[in-house]
Amino acid sequence: MRVVIAEDLALLREGLVALLRENEIEVVAQVEDGPGLLRAIAGHKPDLAIVDVRLPPTYSDEGLLAAIEARRRQPELGVLVLSQYVETAYASELIGDDTAGIGYLLKERVGDVAAFLGVLRQVAAGGTVLDRQVVSELMAPRGEDTQALKGLTAREREVLALMAEGRSNAAIAESLVVTAGAVEKHITNIFAKLELPACEDDHRRVLAVLAYLRLAS
Amino acid sequence: MPSGAEHRRWMPALAAGLSIGEYARSLLRRLAFLTAVLLGAIWMLDGQGYLWPAWAWLGLGDLVLLDLSADWAWRRPPGAARRVACVWALVGAAAVILIFTWLLTWLLAGVHEFWPAWALLGLATAGSGYSLIALQDRVLVARGRRALRARIDLLTHTRRQAVDAQAAELRRIERDLHDGAQARLVALTLQLGRAELRAQDQPEMQELIQNAKREAQLAIAELRDLARGIVPPLLADRGLLAAVESLAARYGLGTAVEADTHRTRGPAIESAAYFVVAEALTNTAKHAQASSSWVAMRNEPRALVVLVGDDGCGGADAQGAGLAGLRARVEALDGSMSVRSPAGEGTIVEVRLPCG
Repeated sequence: MRVVIAEDLALLREGLVALLRENEIEVVAQVEDGPGLLRAIAGHKPDLAIVDVRLPPTYSDEGLLAAIEARRRQPELGVLVLSQYVETAYASELIGDDTAGIGYLLKERVGDVAAFLGVLRQVAAGGTVLDRQVVSELMAPRGEDTQALKGLTAREREVLALMAEGRSNAAIAESLVVTAGAVEKHITNIFAKLELPACEDDHRRVLAVLAYLRLAS
Repeated sequence: MPSGAEHRRWMPALAAGLSIGEYARSLLRRLAFLTAVLLGAIWMLDGQGYLWPAWAWLGLGDLVLLDLSADWAWRRPPGAARRVACVWALVGAAAVILIFTWLLTWLLAGVHEFWPAWALLGLATAGSGYSLIALQDRVLVARGRRALRARIDLLTHTRRQAVDAQAAELRRIERDLHDGAQARLVALTLQLGRAELRAQDQPEMQELIQNAKREAQLAIAELRDLARGIVPPLLADRGLLAAVESLAARYGLGTAVEADTHRTRGPAIESAAYFVVAEALTNTAKHAQASSSWVAMRNEPRALVVLVGDDGCGGADAQGAGLAGLRARVEALDGSMSVRSPAGEGTIVEVRLPCG
């Protein structure tokens, strides 16, 4: 896997580079700003770009905009956006129309090295990963008539929230004190109501959360 | 105290709205006129010799003159102007009395010398002197008022600058947290993660590292909450409208956001507007049992007006801690806040933040 890193803080950038190299991931370029990222992508054709949301010169959302632009220019590029805070608005902008090869994580997740490396591979391979905090914010209690949830029953909503936190069917069943069969039935209903295409189950779970995200924004 | 009916019977003038003083004065004027006519008639019947009633007429005229001039003076606004008018009323009345008295001595007694000259000069000097002193006082007061006005303008201006400087400073602190402590802690968790991976064959060591990493992650989360409380990231990055739209989306209820322009205001104004919307929507979600809510932001030439409303149960306590805190924040910017929350008819919070 070939990776470009866009991060303006040297301490973090170097830490990331060291971490990736130790784990036999090739870092082909390190840049400090948005234009640098676009040049590096054009030059190196990497599989994955790891991008900090805040980059110079204004330190607001240049990284996000650069990541979106990079994906527009090179649709097969996987983009993992790191940030010290998560905003659902940013998540939905980043995802746009194409969920493939998108990751949006809180920066501190890099400390869970094994999981972080897993995310890198998943995103580079075209998967979708959202930070669990984005998910829990999306699932936060809302008004009863939120459009996005209108079709779902209260129990289905609970199941969707637990799914979004990455829990397995068995764990969901345990937490709601129902049988695994009942959980499976709920999940099938959720997929049907959110009109999700038939595909690999893990990916479908992410899609369920994303469908919700798109409805909510 | 006499009853209303007695008033009407014994003092009709009082019933017509005249005060006791006005009633007495109108009585006095009529009495003076009657006496003057009566004395004139007696003089006519008595053979029209020496015009002795002239002295009585002079006396009666003096009384009326004093009454009229006192009345004129009393109509001035209280304070220095009234005092000066009183002095001039006295001086004027005294001068007229002196001149008429001299006229009578000249006509009736043949005194040719204008004897009141020195007295008139004295009166004029006294009146002018008093006026000068009193009006100088007035000039001083006016000057004091102007100085006070200028001081208020200056204080308003410098307070606005101080508030803006404080808001800018808070944003700088937030940025420093982001680039400094938060970034270092992230780098630390990264190093700890790498160490954890290398200590795979030493379970005790690994546990220690994991604990350290968890602490660092908690510290990061705490710092993030702190930074969010200072300046919400979307507000800093994307401005007020984007931040408010995100708030509205977070609170669900299909909150509609309406804004007439995307014009940006100073950081202090934008932060205040943001926290007003956040607090109002939190209150709506917590207490209002509303089925819909809305936010409207209007840019007026010299103010930003923010309205947050819902169709809930109303009855919000404007003195409650949350709204009182907002009021303090708004008033520090010379703004105003009103809460309309009749029971059963929803709540509207309106905030006006003067700018520029």
